[in-house]
Amino acid sequence: MTSSFRTGAREGFTAFLPLSVGLVPWALVMGMAMISTGFSPLQAMGMSVIVFAGTAQLGTLPLIAAEAPIWLIIMTALALNLRFVIFSAAIAPGFRGTRLAERWLAGHLLTDGVFAVCLDKMLHNNDPRWRLGYFLAPAAWSWLLWQVFALIGILAAAYIPRQWSLEFMATIALIVLLVPMARVRPMLIAAIIGGTSATLLRNLPLRLGVIVGICAGIAAGFAAENIEHRNKQP
Amino acid sequence: MNFDASLWLVFILIGLATTLPRASFIVLGNRVTLPGVVQRALRYAPAAALAAIVVPDLLIVGNELQVFNPKLAAGCAAVAASTLWRNPWLPFIAGMTVLLGLRFGLGL
Repeated sequence: MTSSFRTGAREGFTAFLPLSVGLVPWALVMGMAMISTGFSPLQAMGMSVIVFAGTAQLGTLPLIAAEAPIWLIIMTALALNLRFVIFSAAIAPGFRGTRLAERWLAGHLLTDGVFAVCLDKMLHNNDPRWRLGYFLAPAAWSWLLWQVFALIGILAAAYIPRQWSLEFMATIALIVLLVPMARVRPMLIAAIIGGTSATLLRNLPLRLGVIVGICAGIAAGFAAENIEHRNKQP
Repeated sequence: MNFDASLWLVFILIGLATTLPRASFIVLGNRVTLPGVVQRALRYAPAAALAAIVVPDLLIVGNELQVFNPKLAAGCAAVAASTLWRNPWLPFIAGMTVLLGLRFGLGL
């Protein structure tokens, strides 16, 4: 392990630590949801380790419980994670100069929170080892927190009152990521359009409304940037 | 309910359906590059995606659009806390206090 990897790892971990608190209730809720679907603790932990994707796990549970056809379960998981094709493409230049196995690991560990925190510095640092450390430390920390608290949720399923609404802390974590981005006007427009269209299109099948909302938001932000740019020129 | 060995197959397939999109461009690396225009547009992906997940969660109660509800008030408190102060834990405290205060204090 080179020292620039370690420096990167330390900085990435520090940047992500306060936000990682948002994963805790989400993982607890996930553990409890899997048990209430009827999984054994071993099956629930198995899903948590193999899948490692919050929305896809939560989204497919009702279908598994209803014994839906496998293709529908897979399509739903795919639809819920399609946004990651966009994230993967955006952050990919940050992995130039790393080995194939490291990139598979990084791909498997990519999450919304780690993406939002790491993207900027991943694209603006010239040291591949530093960048890999900066990504892998928060990603591995997310994985560990997720599995530990999923297990606690699985074991505690019978004891935590649902009225505490702990899952809302996951939404707060996403808000904490969003607010500093929205200080730049085209970003704010992307967020407003993305949020509004996802809300209005929530009844589209397979939660495609989220995908359409993201695309609409990107288009709006890009258009706003171009208009702002044109207005600045005399 | 009883789940058999086929459940593990379902887990593996869901795992592939979630890992392949995430790994796609990271693994393909330099063999596939996106044009500059697309990369510029993609900078808006995180903000758009976060909002597309958060906003419906704050506005929808039982599949109905409800503008006045405890979740939206709690969301506003979290936004205010993260705008006004640097402390990273405050949005969580503010948001959960408002949510639970409105739910249990006022019975909303």
